[in-house]
Amino acid sequence: MTPVLGSISLSLALGVAFISILLFSLFLKKSDYRFFIAGWRATVVVSALTILATLILLYELLLSNFDISYVAHYTSLETPTFYKITALWAGQSGSLLFWLFILSVYTLIVLYQYRNSYSKLMPWIIIVLVFVQIFFLILVNIVENPFMPTDADFVVINGNGLNPLLQNLTMAIHPPTLYLGYVGFTIPFAFAIAALVTKETGSVWIRSIRRWTLIAWLFQSGGIILGGWWAYQELGWGGYWAWDPVENASFMPWLTGTAFLHSIIIQEKKGLLKTWNMVLILVTFTLCIFGTFLTRSGVMSSVHAFAVSNLGPIFIVFIVIILVICIYLIISRLPYLKSEKRIESFTSRESGFLLNNVIFITICFAVFWGTIFPVLSEAVSGDKITVGAPFFNRVNIPIGLMLLFFTGVGPLLAWRRTSKDAFIRNFSIPIISGIAIFIVCLIFGIRNTTLISFPLTAFVFTAILIEFQRGINSRVTRFDESFLKALQTLIARNRSRYGGYIAHLGIVFMFIGFSGQAFDTELEFALKKGDSKIFDGYSFELVSIDPVERPNHIAWIAGINVWNLEKHLVTTLYPEKRVYFHLDPNPEKRQPHSELDIHTTIYKDIYSIFSGVDIEKQIAYLKIMINRLVYWVWFGGYVLIIGTMISLWPAKEY
Amino acid sequence: MNKKKVTIAVSTLTLLAVVWIGFVTFSPNQENPGMVRFLSLSEIQTVKENERIRLGGLVYPGSILISEKNQLECNFRLKQGEHSIPVLFTGTRPDLFKDDAEVIVEGNYIDGAFVADQLQTKCASRFEGELRNEASYNTESI
Repeated sequence: MTPVLGSISLSLALGVAFISILLFSLFLKKSDYRFFIAGWRATVVVSALTILATLILLYELLLSNFDISYVAHYTSLETPTFYKITALWAGQSGSLLFWLFILSVYTLIVLYQYRNSYSKLMPWIIIVLVFVQIFFLILVNIVENPFMPTDADFVVINGNGLNPLLQNLTMAIHPPTLYLGYVGFTIPFAFAIAALVTKETGSVWIRSIRRWTLIAWLFQSGGIILGGWWAYQELGWGGYWAWDPVENASFMPWLTGTAFLHSIIIQEKKGLLKTWNMVLILVTFTLCIFGTFLTRSGVMSSVHAFAVSNLGPIFIVFIVIILVICIYLIISRLPYLKSEKRIESFTSRESGFLLNNVIFITICFAVFWGTIFPVLSEAVSGDKITVGAPFFNRVNIPIGLMLLFFTGVGPLLAWRRTSKDAFIRNFSIPIISGIAIFIVCLIFGIRNTTLISFPLTAFVFTAILIEFQRGINSRVTRFDESFLKALQTLIARNRSRYGGYIAHLGIVFMFIGFSGQAFDTELEFALKKGDSKIFDGYSFELVSIDPVERPNHIAWIAGINVWNLEKHLVTTLYPEKRVYFHLDPNPEKRQPHSELDIHTTIYKDIYSIFSGVDIEKQIAYLKIMINRLVYWVWFGGYVLIIGTMISLWPAKEY
Repeated sequence: MNKKKVTIAVSTLTLLAVVWIGFVTFSPNQENPGMVRFLSLSEIQTVKENERIRLGGLVYPGSILISEKNQLECNFRLKQGEHSIPVLFTGTRPDLFKDDAEVIVEGNYIDGAFVADQLQTKCASRFEGELRNEASYNTESI
């Protein structure tokens, strides 16, 4: 009975969504406020029905009702309760419903946030949100219904279970975090379209969406970092970013979103770049939909791709509709998007922001180009080409380093123009520290990209510190505050600015981590119990291979003592070779899985993978990687998140 | 500074960016371009000397041979419809590598065999087998 209820709520939601659009059209035509109220309520109903449907699916997952195909495919009786919940977004139809669920929650928040403050934008904002809801409602109603009954011609007693790779806490949080980001950009998009339609293109809409954009951006960043973290901990290839199409899909809207976050600052402060900002947010949303399309359609081969499905054409139609509407609106509203002022000098902060935008868009375009190149190439020359990490690295490293450089330069530039004196005053210390690090690198014989990246990180780091120090100094002299008190009030009173600088610090730390890759080493070898192998300054001694049986798998655990060359024990690593579903009578269903073990310090990670085992001869096949400075990627990620949260926090009224 | 100057600056930068991306895409003589052709077995004769290529296909059931001396060395046949080709791979095999698994290999085609230095199995986050017509092994067999 209940599953039917889920299906019905989804169908009802679709119907009511159309009614809601109709009511708003009537309101816009007749200006009768009662139609607006009715439309508003209809939208609440649509969102509530969607949320209800999601809760019903969740309930069925928890009950293990294998009569529903989705439940049978993604959970089994043995799946721990927590992962029964996460199975909600493990598969195609569930994740589409989950997308819709988040959109509905966001929609409800917007509806209630502005319920007493009607503006001309409001009906259009809601229309856009409902329009996006309709698209996803069509998907979950007609194309991929999560409540489809099981089509097996037997009674399913136990389901398939969730992939062991996904049974991991990070993997449980990574997709929803990313979704909160992807879906979050719908709100600024809706405001942008509403502003264009109503010709209210001033700074009102920009101010209302700053926080929404930051929230979406925060989740997008967090989701991407968590994905990298999961890949590093679970997948066992020693890296965190592979330039896989699906990773690129999440990275592209992040790039344009970041550009947008920066350039709305100048629209707010100077009334510049209005058209540009419109283009950016429209592109960001389109890329979010494009990203969902890449993930869900199976067009690109990818580790992330789900089953090849018939979602592709529908998504393409939706993307084309969005693009046509956006392009039409922007062109027809160009007269309303004129800048109020203009950029006065190349050495102004305004032009710094402009440059920052150009760089972000360039990276985004390079990533986009590499991602769709296989499709283009096949269409043009018939050659199927795959584009791998070396291409993306080669293209993006120089641009990324430029971006890093301007992260340091931008905040030191003054609005309108920077005088020569100020230039020397602001830049001398950062430049000196950059040069100092450069010389140190030269002395240590560093000759790869890090010869450029390390000095740059030093330059930017000092530049940001100087920015803080100036603010603190002026408070200390003006208000006679202590250093810490001054720092605290400085941040508290300019949250968005100093939060932003802290986020920049996070980026600097992450760049240190990325640079470390240039020094990574790895070795694959066989080791007999009792023997040891010397590699990259360490001696690896295999002390044990122990079999262990656990509830849903068996594991062989290798005990490896890691000694440094001074014969001190650094750590003992315990990578595991597991076989899940080992009791399954059908060997096809048994699934091997390597659980790696990592020893982390701020300088390097010792990363161990147990590739294979020969029990009779007591030989373990191991892969050891020494990954430099990876810690800084995660640490920088934390700092980035904290900085963004500071920016987001509502300012106290003084 | 007038609008023209800004336009010129931005278009110059854009042009530079496009030229750079184009250069990386089409510049010849790269050691590791990151762009490799994805061939089907019927096209394998078109391989140029020393060209890195990718092949996709299924692991021929029963063809996986793991060297006794070194478990990291492995031979198998890659099947694409009626065609198949022997593949030699040395390294850590992915967990999902087994008979009939869908794999992608990258490496060089040498004298009728494929020497791969990369082996990927498809769809790590996919776990969509046919449903089992049997009771839980956990509740019955333990």
